[in-house]
Amino acid sequence: MSRAAIAGGMRRRTLIKTAAAAGILQVSAPFIRRASAADTVKIGLCNPLTGTYAAVGKNELAGCKLAVDQINAKGGILGKQAELLVEDSTSGDAGTAVQKTRKLIERDGITFLLGNVNSALSLAQAQVSNEKGIVHIVPGGHTDAITGATCHWNVFRVCNTTQMEANAVAGQLINNVGKKWYYITPDYAFGHTLQAGLEKACTKLGGTEVGADLTPLGTTDFSSYLIKAQAANPDIIIFLVQGDDMINALKQAVQFGLDKKVHLAGAQQELEALEGLPPEARIGTWVFEWYWNQPNVPHVAEFVDTVKKATGRVPTARTWFGFASTWSCALAAQAANSLEGVKMAKALEGLKLPPEVGLMPDQPYFRAEDHQLIGDLYVGNAQAQGTGDDDFFKVTQVVKGTDAAPPPAETGCKLTWPA
Amino acid sequence: MTQLIALSVFNGLIVGAFYALMALGLSLILNLSGVINFAHGGFLAIGAYIAYSLMPYVGFWGALILAPFLTAFIGLIVERFLIRRLYGRDPLYSLLLTFGLAYIIEDVTRMIWGAQSVPFQVPALLTTPLSSDFFFLTGYRMFMVVLVAIAVGALFLILKKTRLGMRIRAGTHDLETVSALGVNVRVLRNLNFGLGIYLAGLAGVLAAGQLGLQPTIGTSLIMPSFVAIIVGGLGSLTGTLLGGLLIGVASGIATIYVPSATEAIMYVIMGLVLLVRPRGLLGEEGRMH
Repeated sequence: MSRAAIAGGMRRRTLIKTAAAAGILQVSAPFIRRASAADTVKIGLCNPLTGTYAAVGKNELAGCKLAVDQINAKGGILGKQAELLVEDSTSGDAGTAVQKTRKLIERDGITFLLGNVNSALSLAQAQVSNEKGIVHIVPGGHTDAITGATCHWNVFRVCNTTQMEANAVAGQLINNVGKKWYYITPDYAFGHTLQAGLEKACTKLGGTEVGADLTPLGTTDFSSYLIKAQAANPDIIIFLVQGDDMINALKQAVQFGLDKKVHLAGAQQELEALEGLPPEARIGTWVFEWYWNQPNVPHVAEFVDTVKKATGRVPTARTWFGFASTWSCALAAQAANSLEGVKMAKALEGLKLPPEVGLMPDQPYFRAEDHQLIGDLYVGNAQAQGTGDDDFFKVTQVVKGTDAAPPPAETGCKLTWPA
Repeated sequence: MTQLIALSVFNGLIVGAFYALMALGLSLILNLSGVINFAHGGFLAIGAYIAYSLMPYVGFWGALILAPFLTAFIGLIVERFLIRRLYGRDPLYSLLLTFGLAYIIEDVTRMIWGAQSVPFQVPALLTTPLSSDFFFLTGYRMFMVVLVAIAVGALFLILKKTRLGMRIRAGTHDLETVSALGVNVRVLRNLNFGLGIYLAGLAGVLAAGQLGLQPTIGTSLIMPSFVAIIVGGLGSLTGTLLGGLLIGVASGIATIYVPSATEAIMYVIMGLVLLVRPRGLLGEEGRMH
């Protein structure tokens, strides 16, 4: 007991010393930072690097890094070098995400904020960035509200809204597969809005819903849901779960031989998920938001090669999200010829991404009314193996964003600018 | 409708058997050493990843045999150098240690094998459904249930018939007396921890056949095991087995009526058990003190 007490005392002393040292660092740190602040333009990325979304978060990071290298090689942002500051927002802890966003803005003095994969964290971060008047680009958070009901003058989004994805795939499914749909939907904001979007699109085209199940996020065993879905006798089982849940659900559905009885499909699918599946489970009709195998689109092959050299794998939609988001920062500053938030946000409205950044058949642009990037969507089927490494998706139709996106009046977005 | 319920119950038993496998390892460690091993899910992930790395060389069957042993070996080392130091202190210490360990293991697996899911393939022989109506009865799931039954049977045999098992059981009741009778308690606890981690490794290899293999694979599987232990009752391995099966069936039935509550139902059952019979279904009285 006494030994423990002594050990405790020693630890307390060490703790005090550590705290003091940390305190000194805190005081001296701003001076160091201020010294570098003059010569660089800082872009802060606050995105998941741990937890459920670590894999997609890291791919977005790879895209951001590549863009910063390219921006600097081309002379930087308004003559200054661009610098990427990275914070781990965690995959679902809004408190941490907000705290780190504040740190990036208040202590590091960033000019641009990027994040987040998680829609809920995106919304929380947007509140902070809006309060501080910092241009904020959301690379990969999909819920409609970000550029809908809770849009902000300073917030722009690169990935699609859930409604756009639903609209892109619905026609293909109704016309080519069948009208009776059963939904397996993750029980959180993204899943709810995606299902609502699909129901809307499906009803418009004469389809019906024969059942729907909400699954808790992080569900590992989908067998009981699959038994129930099969019993409802649908034409299509629509999987709206994402990430690890998607892998679990598809792996089990294929082991049960369901793919031979009903069509398996969904809206958003990601290369990260297909890469985690054994070949026989790479099946179904989906929407990709960007795909690396676009032989006829200029600059895509170079982009793929560069990413492959840096990371060892082909870029995914997430890599492109990070890449396009970071480039958008530089393009905004250039178009505004200023680093002032309001001026840059105004300049981004209607801005078309140049072909070497857009990397799509139609040049994507930020819609002025809601700050949503309107790009192409790739509808097609997952495949066991295509022509090259990681060619796990066969695009059958490229849907224009202008056709998939609901008109601005329907998004519920009203931008209020600072006086 | 009756058919749907029957299918769900049947399916729930399969799922529950798997929960029980994980929970038994946890339960062994908790009973003898009083350590709530929060890193159990981490060891499960290690088992799965080791199997994934071994598969190109020894095939699925070789990996299934080797990976749990290698995981258990890592478990022995962790017990020897970290957990052993905290016996006899407040259980909170070992809880904090294993809690931290869980995060460390998750990040280390991420550093070694990457954050992204890796494709873990089981032999085609196992992945075909046995019948069209009972499509959820795949060869793999049947195989899993048989393996769980064998593992549970072997565990009970070890505990009842072998010297080690008898000492573990005796130690569970009264460690001081066992120690006074000349049994080396350190070695006993070490081997017992290894046995528990062996079960975690085995569960990991089995899980990877049906789920995506990524660093967080254990995290989502670990909570049902804790619930199984509490429902079944601390100190009773039969109770743990029963608890696992019970929550498996309950969450299967919940899918039919309230699909979004498949997870919540486990905690509802746990709450009810704690209210009505705080020591769990087959638990011994006073075990928590």
